[in-house]
Amino acid sequence: MQSEIETVARTNLARVLESDVAPQDIDPDQDMVGTYGLTSLNKVLFLMAACDDAGVDLACFTEPDVAAMSTLRDVTEALSRHAGKAA
Amino acid sequence: MSDSVINHIASRAPSPGGRVSFFRLGGTRTMELTELHTRAGRLALWLRDLGIERGDRIGVIAANGLEWVLLDLAAIRLGAVTVGFDPAKFDTDTGLRERYRLGVLFTDGPARAPGSRALAEIEVAAALSDDGRVLEPVVYSPDDVLSLKLTSGSTGEPKTLTASVGSIDDDLRAVQEMFAHGDGDNLLVFLPLSVLQQRYWTYSALRWGHDVTICTYEAAFPALRAIRPTVVMGVPGFFETARKHIEARMRGAGADTDEATARRDGARRLFGDRIRYLWTGSAPASTGTLAFFEDAGLPIFEGYGLNETCIVTKNHPGAHRRGSVGRVLPGKRVILDAEGVIHVHADHPVCAGYEQAPPGVSERVFAPDGTVRTNDIGHLDEDGFLFVHGRADDVIVLDNGRKVVVRPLEERMKASPAIEECVVFCPTQTRLVAVVSPAEDASGPDLERAVAEQLALTNAAFGPDEQIRAVVVASPRFSVGNGLLTSQLKPRRGRVLDAYRSRIHDTEGGIHAVRD
Repeated sequence: MQSEIETVARTNLARVLESDVAPQDIDPDQDMVGTYGLTSLNKVLFLMAACDDAGVDLACFTEPDVAAMSTLRDVTEALSRHAGKAA
Repeated sequence: MSDSVINHIASRAPSPGGRVSFFRLGGTRTMELTELHTRAGRLALWLRDLGIERGDRIGVIAANGLEWVLLDLAAIRLGAVTVGFDPAKFDTDTGLRERYRLGVLFTDGPARAPGSRALAEIEVAAALSDDGRVLEPVVYSPDDVLSLKLTSGSTGEPKTLTASVGSIDDDLRAVQEMFAHGDGDNLLVFLPLSVLQQRYWTYSALRWGHDVTICTYEAAFPALRAIRPTVVMGVPGFFETARKHIEARMRGAGADTDEATARRDGARRLFGDRIRYLWTGSAPASTGTLAFFEDAGLPIFEGYGLNETCIVTKNHPGAHRRGSVGRVLPGKRVILDAEGVIHVHADHPVCAGYEQAPPGVSERVFAPDGTVRTNDIGHLDEDGFLFVHGRADDVIVLDNGRKVVVRPLEERMKASPAIEECVVFCPTQTRLVAVVSPAEDASGPDLERAVAEQLALTNAAFGPDEQIRAVVVASPRFSVGNGLLTSQLKPRRGRVLDAYRSRIHDTEGGIHAVRD
């Protein structure tokens, strides 16, 4: 069963992708850039929106942190680590 | 040159009050402009100790940050010439020093090449304690060179041209007259500082006392929320991404709010609540995106200029006409030749010609008096607003002698949400054929129906010589990876033609609105 944070991440990733991929069809272990064509700008927009919906402060992450998030699972795990700590 | 902006910032400290901020995810560093000026002066002395003198070239290959700004300002204080390299396109091991005659090259990557130095040295040098030495102020004349520009050619080595102090002063004064940046303003800069115009906004802050915030392209959206700028210095691709994001959030928000309110709220949520205006340039913005932001309550002003001309025209709060790129700036003159090609004359030209370019190229672009042939087609309306229709290369001459400018047709086709890019060809001098790249990797009857509907709308809007007879749907979509888009995400017309030549010439295939 999906966690609430994973649902948030899936929904927001599907929203920024140019290709018409349903949230539930996103493979959490695929590279978001290589497989789904996520651009650098959209990656940040996706993360901002996911942070908003998950109640995570974006300031928890540095630019190297964001660069290291290559799959949906990376994002979900990162959000989970910080959930509930928003200022 | 008593009113020279460059001489002003080279010779005196800014008035107290203004600040420069460097935004990164995870933290923002803010510094008074007076402190920035002091540190740039110390760095200039350190550079002089390295042997850098007036007229020497300082190369910078680094992401946007404090060190970049300090180096540029120190160069101005010394009379040295800044040469910015986009780190996404260059590395230090490619003979940059020799090719561009650099005295020194600073990099935020590994400083492996001979004569290159680590950018990390900059902040240390700028923070050295005052040893009592005083830097003699440099005085520039309008023809002096402040920076070397590299043009972003789609193939081969970039062309280079020097940028004169007079041309930069003219730009900065004209922009200030139009937009009156001042106390309370905070200009967000996220495009590479290797582009001279992106460094203008720090010069403007030092001269007129407003705030400026600098970050990387990737950090631009979080910066908007964190710093709440009053002005965003962007490009069409950035605003297009923002628009799509706001629209997607609107679709996900349900039907509780009317569309106009949802758009306004979405724009405010992304851009903050202090936006005075959005600046766009360097490529044509789509009319849909311009209208979207205007309707959302965020004025957006498009302009026109090339590396070779600096800013030629600009819409602004006092003179704005939708669809145009604004009126001609003081000190510039637009001349349209018999073919409608735009030529630009400037009181203070950027330069007299390319410093490095293939044989004959400089002579084709620069006239002996410095007038630049832009190769863009346009017209001036009765009130002096310039409208750019496309590149001269994009004009098709039909067998009846009539000329068709294809960009308006392509823009109209791209107004469909199903179509991301469109390139129009004329394979037989009588018959226009469009190749469209769909907005999504999709095919099938829904896409074909959407394309056919847009084709019918486009043809209904244009005259008999401008009818598109058939549309070829590209598969896969145009991309940088398959070579059909440039790194600036513009279609490569020649390569699209090569890739779809047989289908373009096939009178039976494709999607037809009007049968031949």
